[in-house]
Amino acid sequence: MGFGVALLLLSTALPNVLSARHDREQARMDYTYDLTEPPKADDTLVISDVDTTFRDKDVRGRLMEPEGPRAPLPPGVSRFPGPGEMVVSPALRKLLAADGSALLRERLPYRIIGDIGESGLVGSQELAYYAGGSGLAARVDGSQTARLTEFGDPNPTTEEPDPVLVLLNIVVIVALLMPVAVFIAAAVRFGGERRDRRLAALRLVGSDSRMTRRVAAGEALAGALLGLALGTGFFLIGRQVAGSVELMGVSVWPSYLDPSPALAALVAVAVPSAAVLVTLLALRGVVIEPLGVVRAAKPARRRLWWRLLLPVAGLAMLYPMVGQGRDNGDFNQYLVVGGVLLLLVGITALLPWLVETVVGRLGAGGVAWQLAVRRLQLSSGTAARMVNGIAVAVAGAIALQMLFAGVDGQYTQETGQDVRRAQMQVGLPDGVPMAATVQQFADTKGVRKVTALWEGYLGDTSWDTETGPGLSTELTVGDCAALREVAKLPSCANGDLFVLEGAEYSVDGPALNRPGRKLYLESYGRGDVAEVTWTVPAGVGTARSITDPAGSRRGGFLMTPAAMPEDVARTVRGELYLSVDESVPDASDHVRNTAARVDPLADPTNWTATRTSARYDSLRTGLLVGAVCVLLLIGASLLVSQLEQLRERRKLLSALVAFGTRRRTLTMSVLWQTAIPIALGLLLASVVGITLGGVLLRMSDTPVGVDWASVLAMTGTGAGVVLAVTLLSLPPLLRLMRPEGLRTE
Amino acid sequence: MSAPAGSLLAAVDLRKAYGSTLALDGAEFSIHPGEVVAVMGPSGSGKSTLLHCLAGIVPPDSGSITYDGRELATMSDARRSALRRSEFGFVFQFGQLVPELTCVENVALPLRLNGAPRKQAERTALAWLERLEVDDLRGKRPGEVSGGQGQRVAVARSLVTGPRVIFADEPTGALDSLNGERVMELLTEAARSANAAVVLVTHEARVAAYSDREIVVRDGKSRDMERVV
Repeated sequence: MGFGVALLLLSTALPNVLSARHDREQARMDYTYDLTEPPKADDTLVISDVDTTFRDKDVRGRLMEPEGPRAPLPPGVSRFPGPGEMVVSPALRKLLAADGSALLRERLPYRIIGDIGESGLVGSQELAYYAGGSGLAARVDGSQTARLTEFGDPNPTTEEPDPVLVLLNIVVIVALLMPVAVFIAAAVRFGGERRDRRLAALRLVGSDSRMTRRVAAGEALAGALLGLALGTGFFLIGRQVAGSVELMGVSVWPSYLDPSPALAALVAVAVPSAAVLVTLLALRGVVIEPLGVVRAAKPARRRLWWRLLLPVAGLAMLYPMVGQGRDNGDFNQYLVVGGVLLLLVGITALLPWLVETVVGRLGAGGVAWQLAVRRLQLSSGTAARMVNGIAVAVAGAIALQMLFAGVDGQYTQETGQDVRRAQMQVGLPDGVPMAATVQQFADTKGVRKVTALWEGYLGDTSWDTETGPGLSTELTVGDCAALREVAKLPSCANGDLFVLEGAEYSVDGPALNRPGRKLYLESYGRGDVAEVTWTVPAGVGTARSITDPAGSRRGGFLMTPAAMPEDVARTVRGELYLSVDESVPDASDHVRNTAARVDPLADPTNWTATRTSARYDSLRTGLLVGAVCVLLLIGASLLVSQLEQLRERRKLLSALVAFGTRRRTLTMSVLWQTAIPIALGLLLASVVGITLGGVLLRMSDTPVGVDWASVLAMTGTGAGVVLAVTLLSLPPLLRLMRPEGLRTE
Repeated sequence: MSAPAGSLLAAVDLRKAYGSTLALDGAEFSIHPGEVVAVMGPSGSGKSTLLHCLAGIVPPDSGSITYDGRELATMSDARRSALRRSEFGFVFQFGQLVPELTCVENVALPLRLNGAPRKQAERTALAWLERLEVDDLRGKRPGEVSGGQGQRVAVARSLVTGPRVIFADEPTGALDSLNGERVMELLTEAARSANAAVVLVTHEARVAAYSDREIVVRDGKSRDMERVV
């Protein structure tokens, strides 16, 4: 019960975790996305985003250059690092010091002069650094490099929540908490048989039936209070431990895990009340006699009709929202919570009936099968209780997987990037020399091919006016092989020039292609450098645009290096498309190191065919983290209840072994006893999960489709947990079967 | 010292300790086919440990146990289990019937463990239930029958495989005197008619009276007390 309470308290702290992480992120925000930078002053700071990735871990990086004594310090940093110095997060310090981090040390060749404090990090395991930069002012562009007077979002906006994401959020929370509640209800009944014997002894010394029930309720209350105390203790320990772990890329600080007072109070009241209620309900079927004999009162046959009412009521609550979609406002949260809750609780009501009905019809087989089936027939309720938690968790997971799979397309965008032609792209700041840079990347370990294109924008008038040019187009520079990646060229030699036809967006090229016409190169972010112009020469060829590696059909002019005037070369920015041999270890990191050597502001990225929405992604990660915690808890609960049942039967097991029963027979019998209810539980979970998933998909106005692979994966995971628990309980089972168990006989 | 001639089961100089507690300290024992031997002694004297050693449930620390000329100590656990399954029968103080099986299924269980088909095993089991006058309980579970009835079912279970030795550990310990006597009558009659030996552990003189011979165990040592019938 302590574990359950700890998990409940953890979930009451989740809203605080989310808002704390969001607040920290907002407080250190340094993107201005503003074209009107503040002028240089004694309170300004120039900062560049130099985020990187080491293997599969993201590293948040910034270069900073204060422009005066009153320049703002980022949260968690007490002084500015000078050029060649950096302050790092504790996790990055550890990673840099680790064996196997040589490539990262080479990429961040700065001297560590201090740590970033907690207030500057969103999680305890976040990898982050602030390094001192120089000459950044000339590179202010409003996006990668910005001038700031303070940290924090200058234009905070409140995003209207997506109803489908809110729906997902609610279902995730209910689906994760329900198994915990089921687990707590089951935990209250641990040790039930021992308690019944104790109560019988009380009857013997004169306690009447009513007093016995009061004693049982008192015991349950005391147990629940102890569970609350232990749970609080586990939570406090877990809170500290949470500060040193990372689950699926998410880490927190212990200070984030502050339960919301109202929810914590609800847990404190609900857990003992539920414990007393469950105990009194469980005692209804038990006759405790004064002679110390405890007999289960002959249980009435379980009725199906009222058990069906729960899921039917759940469906009825969800039904009014079918077809609502994301365009008809928010879903009614009370109906969603109530509906999902009733459907999942329905499993715990239906499963005992299903187990009783099915095992009642199972015939005799071998001795192991007979022992298991007879045991299940005698106490199908205990067996159903054992698998209730797993069944509820699996049903919730199936429904969520279906919902996720259904709406996946709405939150996943095709990037257009052709990952067969290139696997990495490196954006180079303007002014980086072409030939030497290309050679450096070509010589990098793991790089197969480099397609280098330098890009700029041309306008018919100066860019330094309020309205900007009327006509504008792209300029792409590269050798003939590189240009053939973006256009179908009739013929090509160094010195040739082409204008593109068939462009997707930048269609002004042919109109600007007038020999002698002066065009202006965009130069934003190049400080006070004079605007560069280029005059369209005669004899510009025509080429047809084709889809480039990045997935677009570009327009404007194509220029071979010999046709590019020297001043134009200083204005264009390089984009390198790299074909990388993924079988070379750390190939991507070698590329990132080359990029950092060429220019710290170079921006290497790995290509992916699709990109998912960050909020959707974090929800999915949250579900996975939660599901892992819940499955561990349920696994632990199953193990405890399995061991308790075995201990209760210690003497019988020893006696069976004494008269020659093979251990294998008894082991198989225990396996069957677990396998039969779990198979039924998973079957029911699949039916309820698919139904709930279908309803949720209809609610979000998404075509209903069953993702059988995830149904199998979820039921397989549930079965895996049970198998693991059964395997873990085998050594104690074999110990209990030792004849020494007869010593007290 | 060697086992007496003609003995079916014999133990010589048995020693067994549980931690620092010495349960058997040079105990001797022998029994002949069809003989009923009562092992008596106060609580904690080592009676049950002697029975567990004789039945091959617990291996002694030292000493020898021979059954039908075979040394038990040198047998593997699997062989000893097979011996218990086919040649020994057991009756415990509280019956130790499997609570989820019906009475007839409980009695049939040792036969089924020996590989007998279910229907045939249950037919034989029913015959034993009739002989022990509890065939009307065939479909009931142990929780639904009285202690005396349960113990008769346990006796039927111990006899169903036609064992050559029956080990009975305080078989009437949980019964009133009337029920206890009836159980003892049925047990000894059935054993004698099947020429099965009975090792009867008890601390009650009236139960020991059903035996042919008594052995008293005290402080882990045994002493043979010849009965004059």
